[in-house]
Amino acid sequence: MNWYQLLDLSAALLYFLGALFFLSSIPGTRHSLKLTSLLSTAGGFAIHSLNLGAKIAMDPLFTTSQAQFYVSLLAWMFIFLYLLLWWRLKLQFLGLTASSLAVILFCSSLTVSSASLQIPAKLSSLWFSLHIVTLFLSIGFLAMAFGAGLCYIYADKQIKKKARIGQFRKNIPALTSFDRVNHWAVSIGFPLFTIGVLSGFMWAGFTWGSIFSWDPKELFSVLVWILFAFLFHQRLALGWKGRKPALLAVWLFLFCLGSLLIINLFLPTHHSFRL
Amino acid sequence: MHAQIFLIGLNHRSAPLEIRERFALDRTAPSQLGLIQEQGPVRELLLLSTCNRVEILASGQAEAPCLQHLLEAWARQSGRSPEELRPHIYSYTGLEAVQHLFQVASSLDSMVLGEPQILGQLKDAYRLAVESETTGTVLNRLLHKAFSVAKRIRTETSISKNAVSISYAAVELAKEIFEDLTRQQVLLIGAGEMAELALEHLLSSGVSRILISNRTFSRARDLAGKFQGRAVAFEDLFEALPEADIVISSTGASETVIQARDMRPVIKKRKHKPMFFIDIAVPRDIDPDLNQLDSVYLYDIDDLKDVVEDNLAKRREESRLAMSIIDEAVDGFAKWLFALDLNPAIVDLLDFGQAVGRQELDKTLKKIDTRLEPKELEALQTMVASMVKKLYHPPITYCKTRARDRQEVHYYASLLRELFGLDRNEG
Repeated sequence: MNWYQLLDLSAALLYFLGALFFLSSIPGTRHSLKLTSLLSTAGGFAIHSLNLGAKIAMDPLFTTSQAQFYVSLLAWMFIFLYLLLWWRLKLQFLGLTASSLAVILFCSSLTVSSASLQIPAKLSSLWFSLHIVTLFLSIGFLAMAFGAGLCYIYADKQIKKKARIGQFRKNIPALTSFDRVNHWAVSIGFPLFTIGVLSGFMWAGFTWGSIFSWDPKELFSVLVWILFAFLFHQRLALGWKGRKPALLAVWLFLFCLGSLLIINLFLPTHHSFRL
Repeated sequence: MHAQIFLIGLNHRSAPLEIRERFALDRTAPSQLGLIQEQGPVRELLLLSTCNRVEILASGQAEAPCLQHLLEAWARQSGRSPEELRPHIYSYTGLEAVQHLFQVASSLDSMVLGEPQILGQLKDAYRLAVESETTGTVLNRLLHKAFSVAKRIRTETSISKNAVSISYAAVELAKEIFEDLTRQQVLLIGAGEMAELALEHLLSSGVSRILISNRTFSRARDLAGKFQGRAVAFEDLFEALPEADIVISSTGASETVIQARDMRPVIKKRKHKPMFFIDIAVPRDIDPDLNQLDSVYLYDIDDLKDVVEDNLAKRREESRLAMSIIDEAVDGFAKWLFALDLNPAIVDLLDFGQAVGRQELDKTLKKIDTRLEPKELEALQTMVASMVKKLYHPPITYCKTRARDRQEVHYYASLLRELFGLDRNEG
């Protein structure tokens, strides 16, 4: 076991503990558990950042050609956004989705460590970095919208069916908070997603000479983009609120995650993580 | 001739809203009814008029048609015919009236069980009656008893928590829906006691923007002044609705005020921003289907009770406990009331005794033929008077404690008269 693996494992462990503590803090009123969750997630994030930074510093070419790096980067961004939300907006409830997603992604990043991308030589081009960073960020935002959307649907259902008010419901934020986060994540996420998709096409145009090559991933991205655009339009132009946009955001994220895991791992595509 | 207690009234169950508004006796002093006359059968009078009820309580001669007098005076005061009023009222005589008054005072008869305002309203009504000098021995005693019963029920049962828990539930739910209550607007439709209570709870949680709509606009304006809100004419209700985030309805109208189909344009205008409806009225003001609409949440009183405490058996048990407290108090009051009928005999007895005492004192003073200082004379007179009182005390208490109903009262009154030869002396 080398140093990187040790760092990987300890980060994964801390994320896992963070998710676990957060989960156990929900039914009760104890704030110490939430703080412990935050601290272990933040600790994991520090180690994770160190790990990623060290890898890039050591061998940028090799690192950026590894599938593991990208999955790990996505997990890193989830946690980054989550910590940002906690710090700036005091929104803690996304901890559950962010840290558990990060655990899943991070662990899967460890399993695909053997895979390496066939990335052409013009790797370090601006378009490619833009493509990765904006898309990953937008998926991070979409994950936030997903978490907030799920919470919204749950709370809406509880209030509608007139369930008894328990400690759990007292501890989660109000419906309009979830709606606000959902709105906010969609309004930032969509422009980023658009930039990500466009920069991908640009890069493909420069690198392969053709912008669109009927790759499954590309088709899927366009489909997600159309759905995302619809959601964005309903949210911003029509001012939609409530359950429907929440539900749409949930589906959109599941779509994205599905495309990321299924297409990248199993379908023939130039986004493949397989050898 | 003995005193009897009469009560006629109407409430949210006996009369629809329109009738209640038509026959309300707001700001009417009991003396204004013109019932209390030198030789009239009605001796004492009290008026209670709130959003949900009117109660006219009187004491008078048992044999006279007092209920009829009350009904006619009430209709006259409202400028209507007694025939219009008659089908909507209930009337009680004697201990039934006492029991009803106790139930009203302790909020067992309220639209929302245990709402605390009614006791204050009854106290105000009593103050008004005292000020216009329409109360006497019977009502004074009865009302004080009613206040103490209400207090006992409040402290010994959890009935009063019911109303508090309803407004608590309303606020908790509002907090689950809205992130920041200070930015939400509340619309009050109708102005019942319970609506005010719920509004006060919301105000203490930070809500500050208030709209008030009522069928009688002046009442809406009064309340708007009280809570620094804005009064909305009842006809403009649907124009104001899209502005409202939280709607508290308590008109108690017999028909539905807001239908689900009315909500479509409202929801559209609000762009699906959540709306929280609280329907406090019985019968309900708001179509239950509203809760099926997207971003609209509707809770009625029962729902609100259920979300905080769903122990129905316990609630029933508390009602039973409250009723037994009331029964006990009615019994106590009955004893006192019947004992009142002993009073003429007692007064005669004491008068007789005092007369005998005075006679004997005069005789003795003449015999000893000494000039007494005024101070000495006064002392002797006091001694004789208190001797008489002390001597007659045991038989009087004996009769008072034994006379449990009207018949017994009659028996003991004649027993006193016969024992002490009162009727013989009267001639």
